[in-house]
Amino acid sequence: MKVKFWGVRGSIPCPGRKTVKYGGNTSCLEVIIDDARREIIVDAGSGIRELGIDLLNRNPSRSSIQADLLITHTHLDHILGLPFFAPIYLKKTRLRIMGPLTYEDESLESAVTGQFSYRYFPVRLSELASEMEFVALKEERLDLGDGIGLSTKYLNHPVLCLGYRLEYGNKVCCTVYDTEPFQNLFCTDPGDPSFDEAMALEGGEAAREANQRVEEFLAGADLLIYDAQYTRGEYAASRVGWGHTAIEEAYAVAGRNGVKRLALFHHDPLRTDGEIDALAEKLAAGAGPDMPEVFFAREGMEVEL
Amino acid sequence: MERPDIRLNRISNYIEQMPSLSTTVTKVIEICENPASLPNDLGRVISLDPVLTGKVLKLINSAYYGLGNQVSSVTRAIILLGLNTVKNMALSTAVLDTLRDREKAGDLSPDDFWLHSLGVGITAKNLAAFKGVPVAGRDEYFVGGLLHDLGKIVINRLFREEYALVLARARNEKTLLKQVEMEVLGLDHEIVGEMIVSKWKLNEAIVAAVRHHHRPEAAPDDNRFFVEVVRISDLFANLGRIGSAGNCFVDETCFEALRERLGITPEFLSGLDGIVAADTEKAKIFLQLGGKG
Repeated sequence: MKVKFWGVRGSIPCPGRKTVKYGGNTSCLEVIIDDARREIIVDAGSGIRELGIDLLNRNPSRSSIQADLLITHTHLDHILGLPFFAPIYLKKTRLRIMGPLTYEDESLESAVTGQFSYRYFPVRLSELASEMEFVALKEERLDLGDGIGLSTKYLNHPVLCLGYRLEYGNKVCCTVYDTEPFQNLFCTDPGDPSFDEAMALEGGEAAREANQRVEEFLAGADLLIYDAQYTRGEYAASRVGWGHTAIEEAYAVAGRNGVKRLALFHHDPLRTDGEIDALAEKLAAGAGPDMPEVFFAREGMEVEL
Repeated sequence: MERPDIRLNRISNYIEQMPSLSTTVTKVIEICENPASLPNDLGRVISLDPVLTGKVLKLINSAYYGLGNQVSSVTRAIILLGLNTVKNMALSTAVLDTLRDREKAGDLSPDDFWLHSLGVGITAKNLAAFKGVPVAGRDEYFVGGLLHDLGKIVINRLFREEYALVLARARNEKTLLKQVEMEVLGLDHEIVGEMIVSKWKLNEAIVAAVRHHHRPEAAPDDNRFFVEVVRISDLFANLGRIGSAGNCFVDETCFEALRERLGITPEFLSGLDGIVAADTEKAKIFLQLGGKG
């Protein structure tokens, strides 16, 4: 199993002099399982454009391209590259798009493909030559065939968002972004007029259990790709509830759950190459013997599991 | 008369777009449209509306398919789904048109129905506490009580004129509403309610309470106690005239028998009146309904 990063940035593409090293494209991963001849893509952020070109170059005869596209959630930075993913314009492409439910009984298909309307893009969904199938996922375990297992886990983001755990042979690649630790949202101060004891207790217990379940989900991964948009200071100062994790938290979670390698991912669009280098140095300096290998994901980087 | 199977088909199609109650709609919109509203207020307003409660639980149980136990607590659902998801879902369910509907609400007054549902929920939760159900399990009793008459909302919305006749006949003949529903419509609110909560994938205890609250003995053994608590809470609310869901005939013998069977003391019941009155009053003030009405 090999993972290639085509887009590592959070929120919005941010090309420019200050993001040349780590890249400015939004989320897109390619999971290549050569033995099984399977192509799995996670997210269709702006990084998927170059992946599409690369797939066509790898396949000069333009024969059939078959891929599974796992969408973590339908926020724009995770789907905006889809109209620019060249294989969707080819008749022989077959794309199975899987992703989370939406809150309003709107189908995954309409949430992902709403952008294929003249208002937003000059090509309509019905004009695409490729074959696309949509599968709405629950929290479940699926057999993708050819010995590939997929488990899903709902995360904590302002819209329903899934983490994916892909297993092949004895290798595990796990994505846990966009998310932040679950917390008790309900008032816990008995002196506050809105305090409700039952809500406070239940909320605290629900948050603890949900965090425990996320940790069980990612435990033992050979490669964990984890949300690391903020530093702990940034998160605490003004980013609680935005659905992203602090770098220090991601590292601690990976460390206590037997993760072998941690890829810090979904970098804040304001984070410059220089700042990421400095953060990497700081992390390396504080690394203990039992901690996983850790790195900041970089566009174009390939990781062999 | 429209055939019952055709009616059920119409009901099934209606469930997905079922709006929240007119009694809560203004407060739901006020809370959900305010980015600074408190999570406690969101939890509270959802807990005061049977349709919103059902839809939030439906969403959590659809998404978290793999959870060992289905979620029946709105508080837990809000933590897992997040504030935004719940607010957006509530807003899509809170339809201001339901306010216009009030003028032609027929004989089932929306506010009286709401008060009855809430009264049964509060009673059931307090009885569960009295019977030693742990704090974490009591919400489920509240939800069971709040949702027990859900079927009536849909019947009243879809078959309004006929339902007005049903309500009038039950009132004039002092007959059980459920019986008249079956005679006139070929279905009753337990059957319709079960359809809704099953479609929403709510847990078996709640499905059983909605389906069997008039005959707990028909409920599966595992959920018999739960259904009996909802049943006696329903009778308690009817006897105490806490709101009204159209049932004027209250079987006092049945109430006494069930009270003894469940080991609920008259002393506890006499104190319960005050607790339910205080809690429903707080809810009215929260919804800005003017209280005391």
